[in-house]
Amino acid sequence: MAYGIKRGIRFQILSDEDLDRIHWSTLHILEKIGVQVDSPACRKLLKDNGCEVDERSRVAKIPSYLVEEALLKKKGAITLAGRNPKYDAKLDLNHSHMTANGNGAVAVDFETGERRGSTKKDVANSSRIIDALENVHIHWPMVSSTDQHPSVVHLHDLDASLNNTEKHIMYETGVTLSDAKHLTEMGYIAAGGEKEYRQRPITSCLQCTYAPLQHDAGVMDASMYFAKAGVPLVFFGMPQPGATGPATLVGSLAVGNAEVLSALTMIQLDTPGASIIYGMGNAPLDMRTTVRSGGSPEHAISSAMATELAHYYGMPSCVGVSATAKVPGDQSVLEYYTGCVGPLLAGADLMCGVGLLEDSSCLHYEEIVMDNEIVGAIARLIRGEWADEDTLALDVIEKVGVGKNFLAQRHTVDHLKSEHFRPTLIDRRSYDAWSQTGSKTLRDAARDRVKKILAEHKVTPMPADRQKGLEEVIEKAKKPMWGGESKVQ
Amino acid sequence: MEDAVTQLRNAVINYEMETIADLAQKALKEGVNPLEAIEKGLAEGIKIVGEKFGRGEIFLPELVMGAEAMKAALAVLEPAVPAGQHRASAGKVVIGTVQDDIHEIGKNLVSTMLSSNGFEVIDLGVNVPSADFVKKAEETKPRIVAMSALMTTTMPRMADVIGPMKQKNLGVKALVGGAPVTDTYAREIGAEGYSGDASSAGEVAKRLVG
Repeated sequence: MAYGIKRGIRFQILSDEDLDRIHWSTLHILEKIGVQVDSPACRKLLKDNGCEVDERSRVAKIPSYLVEEALLKKKGAITLAGRNPKYDAKLDLNHSHMTANGNGAVAVDFETGERRGSTKKDVANSSRIIDALENVHIHWPMVSSTDQHPSVVHLHDLDASLNNTEKHIMYETGVTLSDAKHLTEMGYIAAGGEKEYRQRPITSCLQCTYAPLQHDAGVMDASMYFAKAGVPLVFFGMPQPGATGPATLVGSLAVGNAEVLSALTMIQLDTPGASIIYGMGNAPLDMRTTVRSGGSPEHAISSAMATELAHYYGMPSCVGVSATAKVPGDQSVLEYYTGCVGPLLAGADLMCGVGLLEDSSCLHYEEIVMDNEIVGAIARLIRGEWADEDTLALDVIEKVGVGKNFLAQRHTVDHLKSEHFRPTLIDRRSYDAWSQTGSKTLRDAARDRVKKILAEHKVTPMPADRQKGLEEVIEKAKKPMWGGESKVQ
Repeated sequence: MEDAVTQLRNAVINYEMETIADLAQKALKEGVNPLEAIEKGLAEGIKIVGEKFGRGEIFLPELVMGAEAMKAALAVLEPAVPAGQHRASAGKVVIGTVQDDIHEIGKNLVSTMLSSNGFEVIDLGVNVPSADFVKKAEETKPRIVAMSALMTTTMPRMADVIGPMKQKNLGVKALVGGAPVTDTYAREIGAEGYSGDASSAGEVAKRLVG
């Protein structure tokens, strides 16, 4: 059975005509307005391929034919491999995969409840929780190892993740060429070699473009390196409707699309056939609080529309969900449910991701398993229904006849697992039964599950020589920094 | 008929960013003291707009439009201020997004909040080398150096600015913010001020200079 959530139904928001219009408008933006490209190497690449490049403003105008050609060169089916092949996520446009959220810098201590800087231990613990959860398919280092030397914080994040989950790991911290080199090397080591990694990439990198219409130098230089090294990439646009994009969601989608397609064009010119996933996370800026509205209905519908656009291009989508709630509970559930259900109904291939609050900033252990439950319920919503001999069960209806029940039918037992969502946290017992066992809230139940996972869940370790190899990369990469020297004695 | 200073004040309050420059020109022609026009006109106007935002009566785009109107009029009035005179403000703030980070909007919103709280803001832009923050602080002697970092990878750059400023005894306070930044981290790197979102930055800055 394929890994991931099988999809059998699909919402349609944008018509084919809408999608055509967005595409043509995007080509217009790229050709007439252009994008700012801070990397000299990328500007040269574009210029050599016929783009009009202004070295002073660093704005490149990209002709439509280059974008169309890049869209033809891209790779359709991408597999994000797990350290254990049973976790291989095939992005076949028929399955959805949930990822963890990342890369926060704060965590609420599971024991003391203190809100503090996140540590490598948090990365390790959350990796182990993700490894254990049935509805989260791809891991991200959820927070940063801020207790480690600042020059190698994110290498420690990857180290702790690789050692504590066998699922595929996507990171978003390859933002300079030297980061890219170290992260790639660690991926090769963990996979058992470059050849093995290229066949089954067990890591990937999500790269954010900068709204509106900009590409950071470090990010693009790193991306060119990743593409050549066989590391799958997500280009993730995130204009905030009303702030870094038009207030209209479709307008912001066009801005984000121009960013993603121009990044795709640069990479496909440099490394034809590179594995690239289409990413977008457009949450509006809340105009009263100046906070990004993660988990808002606009975030959800933007992610859903971005998915439709990705599929229009024949690309898998990776779209965002988050929550502005400060604690796991009513608001976080409402935001995560809203944020997940829209895009998943529209067929999102990757949804990033679960477990962080304060708009992807703060890790709450309980939230990870609460979100896992939300995804479980939605997985049932999107599975699809069909009428055939087996589902209609006419023979069983006839056998049971009038006025009896279906409990003791083999058909019932056979279909229970696949037909009915069985919650792990939602408590459906009677009031009496519930109150006699402590009147636990959903969050309490989540807390119990986290405790159980942390106490019992074992992850198959990597071979010792690979573990050692990772440590050596980190040691080698360490370099002096002001914050580092004052923090590390 | 309102006097020119009141007209300028109202033009900020009514977000007349397209026409306020003409109004400022007219005021200068009429012989209005540019310092008075700035302090009693523009600064008063933006203060009222800021208060309305604080009370939730208006939204962010309106506040930003008010700030834009003020900026457009300042461009006309400031060059007319006689040499040696300087407008009164709550204090000077040097602001920027740290090196290797080109995230702009958060920094711009904080600038807006600071202006609407009466600060004079010197904006160094984005991807600002750490040494440039320090150099500008030495040159312009601000009360506050404000830094924004939106990525966990660029956050340590803030320490690269605060360290040398303290070493040189510049007597400047550091105000930091951005998605990954926390109050704990701010304390750890020796920043005196931290704001979790742009809308509270004005209050924090006032506390720092108070």
